[in-house]
Amino acid sequence: MVKVERAVSGPAAQPAGVAWLIAIGAWFVPGVGHLWLKRWGRALLMGGAVWASFLVGLAMGGHMFSLSTGQGSSPLLQIPPMIANMGSGLPYLFCLLFGIGFSDNPEQAARATYEYGNTFLLIAGLLNYLTVLDAFDIAVGRKP
Amino acid sequence: MMLFAALAAIVFGAVAKDTTSERWLYGLKVFAEFMIIGLVLGWLLYFIP
Repeated sequence: MVKVERAVSGPAAQPAGVAWLIAIGAWFVPGVGHLWLKRWGRALLMGGAVWASFLVGLAMGGHMFSLSTGQGSSPLLQIPPMIANMGSGLPYLFCLLFGIGFSDNPEQAARATYEYGNTFLLIAGLLNYLTVLDAFDIAVGRKP
Repeated sequence: MMLFAALAAIVFGAVAKDTTSERWLYGLKVFAEFMIIGLVLGWLLYFIP
């Protein structure tokens, strides 16, 4: 009888340092972690979903959070949504740097899609956290 | 709401489960759950002043 050995499919685990770099890259630019791992389909689907959510949120006139947008309340209340927004990585930092989506003007808040936009922006960041964890799990070999 | 449900379902489906068919099924399930819960909550809140 011939013994047949089947190789375990899936990529070899990356060294821990590289896996962390992949995770940071995945956070910084949504989709890059999976591109790095040559998971084209996942990069397109997951990164695309994050980018789409972020851009739709901005187009709807959504508002992002930072510590400076207290609106008279405690800046501590801004921390949870800020953490969610920060999950978007580079798009969030770009908007923070150029003041896009951070202003508190009444005209923007009066838009019918304002709250929808907020939600899309929050969800973009939260979905990207899931994407980062997925990329990290693949990189360390926990996931095929 | 449909766009939101679709985007969330794509990521949830891609992250969870092991096989492609399981991922598709889970993604569709998540999409359906978001839609059904959204519509039910929408109608409930419609009657609450």
